[in-house]
Amino acid sequence: MEKHLLELKRVDVRYGDVQAVWDVSFHVNDGTIVALLGANGAGKTTLLKTISGILRPNQGEILFSGRSVVKLRPQEVVDIGISHVPEGRRLFTRLSVLENLELGAYPRKFRPFFEESLGRAYQLFPILKERSHQKAGLLSGGEQQMLAIARAIMARPALLMLDEPSLGLSPLLVKTMFELIRTLNDQKVTILLVEQNIHQALKIAHDGFVLKTGKVVMSGKGNELLANPEIQKAYMGTLG
Amino acid sequence: MLDILSFQLVSQLLINGILFGTMYGIAAIGLSLIYGTMRIIFLAQGTIIIFLAYICYWFFKLLGIDPYLSILLVVPVSLLLGMGFYQGLFREAAALEDKNISLLIAVGLMFLVENLMATMWSSNPRSIMTSYTAYGVSTLGLRVSFTRLMGFIMAVLSTIGVNLFLNKTLVGKAVKAASEDMEAAALVGISPHAVNGIAFAIGIGLAGTAGVALATTYSFDPYFGFIFALKAMIALALGGMGSVTGAFLGGILLGVLESVGSFVISGGWADAISYGVFLIVLMFKPEGLFVRSVKKA
Repeated sequence: MEKHLLELKRVDVRYGDVQAVWDVSFHVNDGTIVALLGANGAGKTTLLKTISGILRPNQGEILFSGRSVVKLRPQEVVDIGISHVPEGRRLFTRLSVLENLELGAYPRKFRPFFEESLGRAYQLFPILKERSHQKAGLLSGGEQQMLAIARAIMARPALLMLDEPSLGLSPLLVKTMFELIRTLNDQKVTILLVEQNIHQALKIAHDGFVLKTGKVVMSGKGNELLANPEIQKAYMGTLG
Repeated sequence: MLDILSFQLVSQLLINGILFGTMYGIAAIGLSLIYGTMRIIFLAQGTIIIFLAYICYWFFKLLGIDPYLSILLVVPVSLLLGMGFYQGLFREAAALEDKNISLLIAVGLMFLVENLMATMWSSNPRSIMTSYTAYGVSTLGLRVSFTRLMGFIMAVLSTIGVNLFLNKTLVGKAVKAASEDMEAAALVGISPHAVNGIAFAIGIGLAGTAGVALATTYSFDPYFGFIFALKAMIALALGGMGSVTGAFLGGILLGVLESVGSFVISGGWADAISYGVFLIVLMFKPEGLFVRSVKKA
C-alpha cells in the first residue's frame, strides 16, 4: 500500500464570514507529484496556506506523516518538513540572492546543513550562483521563481508546496520550470503543485484533484484527468 | 568683519542643529525598526526616552554613577524593557489584522509612563550637572559642548551598530526580511513574535542611548516625550521608512532646519517649521528624501 505523506480529512476553512474551502479531503502519496487544479478563487491557495499554518481550518484534520499539523505555527510546519513557495514568489527583494537562501535555512535545525543545502540549490539553479550577490528584487521573473523554490528547499522539505510556479513566465521558462519540478521529484521530494497551467501540470503529476468553489469535484491519476473530456472542455480551452 | 561673523554664525547654527538632530535620529531609528515588523508608529518612544533619561539621572543623583558609565546599565535595562513591552503588551495585538489596537496600546503606554513620571518625580525640569557639563571644545571661533559631542558620537556608533546587526547577522537579516514581508518570513521559519520582540528590544535599547545623551545635555521633564516622538516621526518621514541610515540623516536634517529656522525667523517657529516640512515631504515625497524607490517586481 502506498504511504500517505499528507492527508486532509474533511477540511473547512473560513475567512471571517466567507467559507473558502468546504469539506475537502485528499491525500498526497510519498514521493509523488500531486496537482491541485481549479480556476481562480477555487480555494487552492487557501488550502496551501492552511497546510502551512498561516490559516487555521475551522473543521477537519490535516495529517503529515500521520501527525496532526492543524495546531502548528508556520515555523513549526517548516521544521517538520513542509516548505511552501507562495504565489507571487514573495522574495525578500532588498536582500541578496545568497541572503534569501541563508534565510531559507533559518530554523536552527537546518543551519548545520547550510553549505550542503546551498550546494544542492546552486546545482539545481546554477544561475543563482552567478547572481548570488545581486539583490533579489533585481532578478528576472524566471530567476525570481527559481530563487523562491531554491529558498524553500534550503529547509530540506519532504513535501514542497508550489503555488503557481509558472505564473507570468514565458512559454520556454514554463517548460524549464516543469522540468525542474520533475527533477526535484526525482530527488525524493514530494510535490504538491497548484497550477492554472492545467495541461502542463497534469503531464507531470501522478495524481490530480480539481477544486471548484472550495470543493473537490474531480480526482484521479494525472494521465486519466488529462484525457478526461470534461476537463478538456472545462479548462483546457481557456487556460491550457 | 560681517562676512566672518556670518560664517561663524551659520557654522554654529549648523553644528547645533546637527548635534541636536542626532537625538531625533536615534529616536527615529527606533521607530523605524519597530514600524518595520509591527507596522505601527510607536508613539511612546519619546516618553520612554525621557523615562530612561530619568533612570540615568537617578543613577547619577542617588548612586553617584557617572552618566556615561551608566550606559552600561541603562542600555541592557532598556533592551530587556523593550522585549518586556512586546511580550507583555503587544504580543496578542500584533497578530491582529487591525494595527490600530497596537497603536492604541502605544498611546496608552505613553500616557501611563508620562503620568507616572510626573507623579513620582514631579514635573519640574531636571538636568545633570557634572564637572564636565560646562566643558566645551573651541576651534576656529566655534564652540561645541563636550556633552553634545558625546551625544553625537553615541548616536553615530548606535547607527553603525544597528546597521551591522541588520546586515551582517542572520537574526538581523531575518528582521529585515520580516519587515518586508512577514508572511513570507513565517513561511521560511522565522517566528513573527521573535522578530517583533527583537525589533522592540533594539528600538528601546536605542531609546536608552538617546536617554543618556539627552540627560547629559539638556534639561528635561516628563511631558517632553510626546513632542520628541513627533519629531522622531518627522525625521522618519524625511529619511524614509525602513532605512536606518535614512532615519538618522532625517533626524540631522530636521535638527538643522529647526536650528537655522528658529534663528532666521524666530525661536517660536521651530515646531511650526518641523510640522510644515513634515506635511510637505509626505505630500510630495512620501517615500522619504534618502530612499531610492525600488519598484517591486
